[in-house]
Amino acid sequence: MTTVLKRNNWAIWRDVIFALFVREIRTGFNDKFGLAWAVVQPLSFIFMMSYIRGRMDGGSTHTVPTFEFMLYGLLLVQLFLGTLSGCSSCLKKNKALFAFKQVQPISSVIASSCFNFLIKIAVFILIFVIMYFLKMDFEIKRPLILFLNVIALWIIAVSLGLISSLAQCYIPEVSKVQSIITRPLFFISGVFFSMQDIPKEYWPYLDWNPVLHAIELSRHAAYSTYSIEAVSEFYLFSFSLVSLFFSLCIYHVSWKQAISR
Amino acid sequence: MIKLQNVTKFYPSKLGNQYIFKNVSFEIPSGHNIAILGSNGAGKSTLFKMLAGSEYPNKGEIITDLHLSWPVALATGIHPQMSGAENARFIGMINGVADLDQYVRRVRQFAELGPKFDLPVKTYSSGMRPRLAFACSIGIDFDVYLIDEVTSVGDANFRKKTREALTQKSKNANVIMVSHEMDELRHFCDSAIVLHQGELTFYNDLEQGIAHYQAL
Repeated sequence: MTTVLKRNNWAIWRDVIFALFVREIRTGFNDKFGLAWAVVQPLSFIFMMSYIRGRMDGGSTHTVPTFEFMLYGLLLVQLFLGTLSGCSSCLKKNKALFAFKQVQPISSVIASSCFNFLIKIAVFILIFVIMYFLKMDFEIKRPLILFLNVIALWIIAVSLGLISSLAQCYIPEVSKVQSIITRPLFFISGVFFSMQDIPKEYWPYLDWNPVLHAIELSRHAAYSTYSIEAVSEFYLFSFSLVSLFFSLCIYHVSWKQAISR
Repeated sequence: MIKLQNVTKFYPSKLGNQYIFKNVSFEIPSGHNIAILGSNGAGKSTLFKMLAGSEYPNKGEIITDLHLSWPVALATGIHPQMSGAENARFIGMINGVADLDQYVRRVRQFAELGPKFDLPVKTYSSGMRPRLAFACSIGIDFDVYLIDEVTSVGDANFRKKTREALTQKSKNANVIMVSHEMDELRHFCDSAIVLHQGELTFYNDLEQGIAHYQAL
């Protein structure tokens, strides 16, 4: 008969996360476009936007080529929004799976967020490969710093997504409020503009937003001539640590009741 | 042995908390095939979910050293977008089955879904999903199978097959079963737990339990 392995807790975790991850891939892209859509959609958008902005400023935005300026803005904000919405819907979506006691809610959050992260990294690399073959000039001065910024932003998205996901188990209206709050994020996170386009006295109205910090810092990491007077690394990293801490606390206290309702 | 210690369970609702269990302590003895009897809404499925660890009590805890199955209800944990084979593989992976290919082959054989086994579950008829769910659980060796009315949905042929498989299993495993069909229960179970108004009562003799349940 079937042999069932005696596994320790870590092995169970690893197997469950892997299984959920495979399931995520399998169900995430099951139309005809498949994985290609994940690349085509942002790419077409970046081309469109950078064409419009490039017309206005002649191909270079504050010393960064307009295409790359848009690239960082758009991909990072999409990473944030995609991960946030993926994580925040995943408890509800996978509720049926918590019937298996091996599947804990955090495993599904980890699987969904890693999936989103890998997709976006793949798109990122692919776009650079395309740029290389189109013989477009690009440089990444400090790739590690860039990577660190992306990770910090991703952690913020996962933490906020986890909190919202737990909250939705108690108060379903949270998902509606979340969609209202995240909608303007696209326009206030510096995707289409730089803080240098904005008069200094208005900075405080935009500066609270960690996504804006991540985007501006990433542009700076790629082109050190790009000014980051308005943003700070300290804010981005401390925001990510604090939100991660709080989300894990909330998770630890509430996960058993959240799936038992 | 499964032990319930001061278990309180309620579901919040518009009319305040709906208590299913209030401070219940109980011991489910091992070595019995147990029928759970109770009217609709008495908390049979809730009890199942808590035993399996799908849900947790609001207060108190449930202690067991046995390897319990998940509550095999009509289509627990089956994803409609994935095919039967993929679902089986997923369930096997989560439960730590050593040889996944062999397990999927066995589920395919048992479920008898034919070519539909490789199509998404959403194309299945309502009788086929429980067949898949049941085949997945019977393919894994558990100490206790929690069966929630699954055996009563299939056609005559499949029912015969589930009977044989469960009888085979009950040699070295136990069954805890919910069903409203007494014949079904008489076939598999030797003792009963009657669930009435948040109280559990164990009857060593099934007939005694059924008589008591029908007198309620």
